[in-house]
Amino acid sequence: MKRCSSFVFPLKPVAASAIFLSGLAILLLITSALFVPKNNLAEFGMEEIGANGILGEQDHSIDVLIIGDSEAYSSISPMEMWQAHGFTSYVCATSAQQLTTSFAFLKQAFRHQSPKVVVLETNAIYRKVTMSQSLMSRLESLFSVFRYHNRWKSFRLSELLVTPQYTWTDDFKGYVYNTAVEAASPGVAMQPTDQVEAIPPLNREYVAAMAEFCRQHDTQLLLVSTPSTLNWNMRRHNGIAALAQELGLTYYDLNLDNPAGIDWSSDTRDRGDHLNFSGALKVSAWLGKTLSETFPLNRQYDEAIVRRWNEALQRYLTVTGQQS
Amino acid sequence: MEASLFSLPFLLLFLPAVVVLFALAPARWRGPVLLGASYIFYWMISGKLLVYLLVSTLSVHCAALWLGLLQKRQKARLQQAQRDEKKKLRVLFRHQQRRIVLAIAVLHIGTLAVLKYSSFLAGNLNSLLTLLHWPALSLSFRFAVPLGISFFSLQALSYLLDVYHEKIPADTHLGRLALFLAFFPQIVEGPICRWQQTACQLWQPEAPSFQRLTLGIQRILLGIMKKVVIADRLNLFIQNLFDRQLSDNGALIALAALFYTCQLYMEFSGSLDVVCGSAEMLGVTMPENFRQPFFSRTISEFWQRWHITLGTWFKDYLFYPLSMSAPLKLLTRHFRRKWGTHASSLLSGAMALLVVWCCNGLWHGAGWHYLFFGLFHFTLILGGSLIAPLGTRLTATLKIPVDKLPWRLFQMIRTTLLVALGELFFRANGLALGLKLFTQMIGNFSLTPLLDGTVLTLGMDLHDFFIVAIALWIVLVYSVMKERGKDPRQLLTQRRIAVRWAVYYGLILFIVIFGAYGSGYVPVDPIYANF
Amino acid sequence: MEKLLRILQDLLPQVDVKHDQHLIDDHLLDSLSILALVSELEEEFDILIPAVDIIPDHFNSADQLWALIVRLQQEG
Repeated sequence: MKRCSSFVFPLKPVAASAIFLSGLAILLLITSALFVPKNNLAEFGMEEIGANGILGEQDHSIDVLIIGDSEAYSSISPMEMWQAHGFTSYVCATSAQQLTTSFAFLKQAFRHQSPKVVVLETNAIYRKVTMSQSLMSRLESLFSVFRYHNRWKSFRLSELLVTPQYTWTDDFKGYVYNTAVEAASPGVAMQPTDQVEAIPPLNREYVAAMAEFCRQHDTQLLLVSTPSTLNWNMRRHNGIAALAQELGLTYYDLNLDNPAGIDWSSDTRDRGDHLNFSGALKVSAWLGKTLSETFPLNRQYDEAIVRRWNEALQRYLTVTGQQS
Repeated sequence: MEASLFSLPFLLLFLPAVVVLFALAPARWRGPVLLGASYIFYWMISGKLLVYLLVSTLSVHCAALWLGLLQKRQKARLQQAQRDEKKKLRVLFRHQQRRIVLAIAVLHIGTLAVLKYSSFLAGNLNSLLTLLHWPALSLSFRFAVPLGISFFSLQALSYLLDVYHEKIPADTHLGRLALFLAFFPQIVEGPICRWQQTACQLWQPEAPSFQRLTLGIQRILLGIMKKVVIADRLNLFIQNLFDRQLSDNGALIALAALFYTCQLYMEFSGSLDVVCGSAEMLGVTMPENFRQPFFSRTISEFWQRWHITLGTWFKDYLFYPLSMSAPLKLLTRHFRRKWGTHASSLLSGAMALLVVWCCNGLWHGAGWHYLFFGLFHFTLILGGSLIAPLGTRLTATLKIPVDKLPWRLFQMIRTTLLVALGELFFRANGLALGLKLFTQMIGNFSLTPLLDGTVLTLGMDLHDFFIVAIALWIVLVYSVMKERGKDPRQLLTQRRIAVRWAVYYGLILFIVIFGAYGSGYVPVDPIYANF
Repeated sequence: MEKLLRILQDLLPQVDVKHDQHLIDDHLLDSLSILALVSELEEEFDILIPAVDIIPDHFNSADQLWALIVRLQQEG
């Protein structure tokens, strides 16, 4: 067996590797620029256009950012809060959203917006984030080709070299309108218990990172559990309450004592899993009131912003049948 | 961490970290570094189930040492013994040793049987009881199966049997055996190594070199391409036909069976590319598990080229011992006088082969369709050697040039189609579904869906077919080169740096852009890791 | 040795059995023909070939086979 007498730094291989990797990074950046959707519409290859409608909003016009999974986009309607309390908000929620995606939406929003409050719907905190997902999300945020590579199928040569321009806005501001009713049987989920459902370690890290991110941007991070008999229970409440305390965050649980006044016979569309429109009205009313009373929101907007939001409000009210 | 060699944490974090540690470690620490890394890897995937691996390692180590001791004592006694005592002594020691081997074999096979086959056995027992109108027993077993148990158990037994047969001396070093059984890339999906192949080079690997590093990375990239671009892209189509049964058209089912065969090969050989590539980076040369199996001319040859290490394991530790066992030899001798050598050895061979193929089928999983899969190949191999003389006479009378490409091509396609037929039953969830799909494939065969575009609505559109075709073409060119005795990777290292880097960059971008991952693709679990 | 070559030639009519050095490695001898070969050899040379000895190193060429036979005859 041979043994090296002294350690020689392998300069040439290390230098070659470094050059190779830099070249690879540049190539990936170029392909990312080619593959990124050039507008926030589905026909441009944008995914989750409801949540990504925020890209079309005017810079620094959104006061409250809401992120989370389907619980968030079923329970909170920004237009209701705009009508009642006059502050702007946006729901960047996607179905079965993982915290990796939540964090990506948070960072994306702060590129062009400066919300005063960020609301994280807590159901996402219990969707276990795997190491693979975490790594993939990191790769995606560095090189968007990892996220949009499947667009090669629908590529048009004409759009290859265009700079992205986001023109579309969502009249519902990320809220997903649904009026179906399928009553829930009153659950036993919120019966008092001292048991705690453990939060997976990587998920905990993500919430902590989001809290830190908000702190750096001088923004309040709020944890909110929207009403759901299927997804929420006391064990989860205890878990989130402990986490909130540990990270110094404010936590509201609407399942506890029912402050929004949810009626489970009429306010859910799928037996307690998600709220329907009637439920969302109640939650939005409660949240709008709480936010406007507790936090210093901007509410001083450009005329153009106010005009556009009011126009969107008219269309929203027409679609939801609150105004003909 | 997921039990997949293609997972990002393994490829981007774990493996690079181990490679760096390995490169920095002094020569005599490289083995221990690999052992430590292997146990950490096992722990991250299977947690406390690591106990199974440790128990296996320790028991086999002690048993082997005991065998070694007995063998030494036997030699000493034999030297002193009189001539007529010698035979008696040999038998005595043989029996003692046999008991040790038997105990360890029972321990390993018993553990496997309990963990993997108990629910299958209980289910069958209950079906039998119901058939006899007896009350069914309420048995339900669900065990967490430790990572790679089917692989390391076979390796452990092969080591012990080799010591028993005095092919190798019992190793006094526990670490070497521990690493031999636990080596981290290999424990997930094989290959099933022999002691002489890897044990010593694992404990004292070659010094790391940049050349080996790049060769290893090349191989890993090739494996990723096979898996992510081809296997995962075919997956939707296969699921739609096999699991959701969106069509009962024979041509589509046949296509799905072919695709599944392709998926299985790409995924399994791709995994082994990652294993061998990782090992290569760590200074270890693994035995190959595949040798371009679809260039086989017969089923028997196919199994000498597909999952080679499993095939040779069964051949060496099951087939020969069985067919050379006293009862079968007696049988052969008995029928020889009546039938001649060929037929009589075929008979005893067939009986041993039957056992081997039942075991091979069941090794893949507890289910009647796996057993059927094994028996299917048993029938083909036996049938093949029965009609082999007939075939030779036929090609001779028809004056078919047997060594020319057209005939070879015909044989390869025939073999591939037969294999795909077997995989139809292998993939179908249960034997009943397999038979149903088979009857549909034959009875409802029409080419219309391939022509009117229906085939493009089942999870793969024209783009997908196009990309799969390109990727398959790359693999084909690579395989043809290997078949002709050239190593494409070695050839690449001799090219100019611009060419090499262009190939690397091209391959990486090809995987990144055309890989079937991300939105719309559910990650596919490795197929062979569950066996 | 002549006897061995004749047996091999019967089994593998298309191969140059005297000079081929890779009967196993080139997959010329498959497992069933090895069985036939073993039983033939056992009878012709009056030996017992144990399963342990069925390894490529013993079966790859006529010379190796001959060495095996001689060894087993001496031990027997």
